[in-house]
Amino acid sequence: MSTASKGRKARLLQVRVPVSGRQALISALGVWIAFFGIWILASGLGWVNPILVPPPGKVFATIVRLFAEQGFGADVLISIGRVLIAFALASLVAVPLGVAMGAFPAINAVFAPFVSAWRYLPAPSFIPILLMWFGTGETPKLALLFLGVIFFLVTLIADHTREIRKELIETALTLGANRRVTVFQVMLPAVLPNILVAMRQMLAVVWTYLVIAEIVASTTGIGAMMMRARRFLKTDEILAGIIVIGALGMACDMAFALLHRRLFPYLEDKR
Amino acid sequence: MSALLHIQNVSKTFDLPGGQALTAVDDVSFAVEKGSICVLLGPSGSGKSTLLRMIAGLETQSSGAVLLNDTPIEGPGRERGMVFQAYSSFDWLSVGKNVEFGMKINGVPKPERRARAERFIGLVGLSKFIDAYPSRLSGGMRQRVAIARTLANAPDVLLMDEPFGALDAETRWQMQELMIEVAEASGTTMIIVTHDIEEAIFLADKIVFLSSHPGRLKEEILPTFKPGRLRNKEDVIALPGYAEMERKIMRMMREEGHK
Repeated sequence: MSTASKGRKARLLQVRVPVSGRQALISALGVWIAFFGIWILASGLGWVNPILVPPPGKVFATIVRLFAEQGFGADVLISIGRVLIAFALASLVAVPLGVAMGAFPAINAVFAPFVSAWRYLPAPSFIPILLMWFGTGETPKLALLFLGVIFFLVTLIADHTREIRKELIETALTLGANRRVTVFQVMLPAVLPNILVAMRQMLAVVWTYLVIAEIVASTTGIGAMMMRARRFLKTDEILAGIIVIGALGMACDMAFALLHRRLFPYLEDKR
Repeated sequence: MSALLHIQNVSKTFDLPGGQALTAVDDVSFAVEKGSICVLLGPSGSGKSTLLRMIAGLETQSSGAVLLNDTPIEGPGRERGMVFQAYSSFDWLSVGKNVEFGMKINGVPKPERRARAERFIGLVGLSKFIDAYPSRLSGGMRQRVAIARTLANAPDVLLMDEPFGALDAETRWQMQELMIEVAEASGTTMIIVTHDIEEAIFLADKIVFLSSHPGRLKEEILPTFKPGRLRNKEDVIALPGYAEMERKIMRMMREEGHK
């Protein structure tokens, strides 16, 4: 193996040949260093207007200042709260409905045409009517986040449930499983890892709608802080908001990845 | 004398898109004796898998009846356990819990469940893996889990749909020999679908040969040259009468293929 690879010319780009851990780390760090390097150069050498593009150091100092002196922590907590509540409500509806649609064609026949029609309506188009119905409190924001993901989440979960291999279900039936056992003890555990994957994907979308909701109609939260900053040309605060949202999104994603590994250890063995 | 299972004038017609009808199984009748191994053999298109699925209750016949202990079967049930060609382990359960699954849903008390699971896992040679997840096992080992899971549930008849078709040649004959061992140890009645002639002759107490398009019973073949069940495949191949039977069945296969 090693002699063969030595004999061959080392090439940078090889179709589907995996890279070493070291190369992966260097590549990942390299692109970030390049990104910040260009940013520092551009603001340091005056290529860009420092009011529109503040240097990275200033942005990070702003993040610290926002949390330490300006109560930004409260905004962040409000935003996280909105995401979690809306996403929990959406999941509470989507998981049972999606599994039921995937398991029972009769239920699918009722809901599939309805759900797929709603999927094509952009959730932000409901903002004006949601504001008229629910005023300016938390309700219209939660409703927007809920509407933004519920239909996609239901569809994804229903699809995953339909993809459960026929043999698993038929094995259960020939072992004497009734309908309840088949759904709750075979189909549900079989689809659970994929439900978590669907939730992970859709949680990213909730963050998108959160910022839309907070920019359009809110005085609290990360998005509202960014809109306030715009009024006073505080680009450093806007960029700080973007970075914080990115970090929170990544943290959510990593939490879900960790949860997936913890809940489904049997999938690890496949590698 | 009454057999365990009677297949009586069973036919299956599928409606094709475009209004045509396809007869997959046409008026098939045979009986399976208690404790015997019956092999359904035939070329592709002989409806042997469809027939097995009707015995399992996973398909309904268009006409005719399947009787188990003289009672017509309706839908799937634990007394007709099935092992599929494709991988069917419950990935989220350990090997032990997979084998306990059928007993658990049928209300077998826990200590008895565990004991029976251990016995059948031992019978298929997987005792070391009782706490492992199926994803750690090879294809052949997963089929052993499926066989143990079905047998531990104490079915009247074990149905197997090309159970070793996806395995490599060496694993396949090990599994065939294992089935003889399992049949001897448990006394379970088995119906096995295959298109592998060697496998059929080695395993069968009776071969039901089906013709293709539509699937009809062509001949019931009794490998009487075997002095009972032999555990080693090479011993069966060495028997006088083996080559002749293999040649006869190959000719039947070829005739069906030319149709």
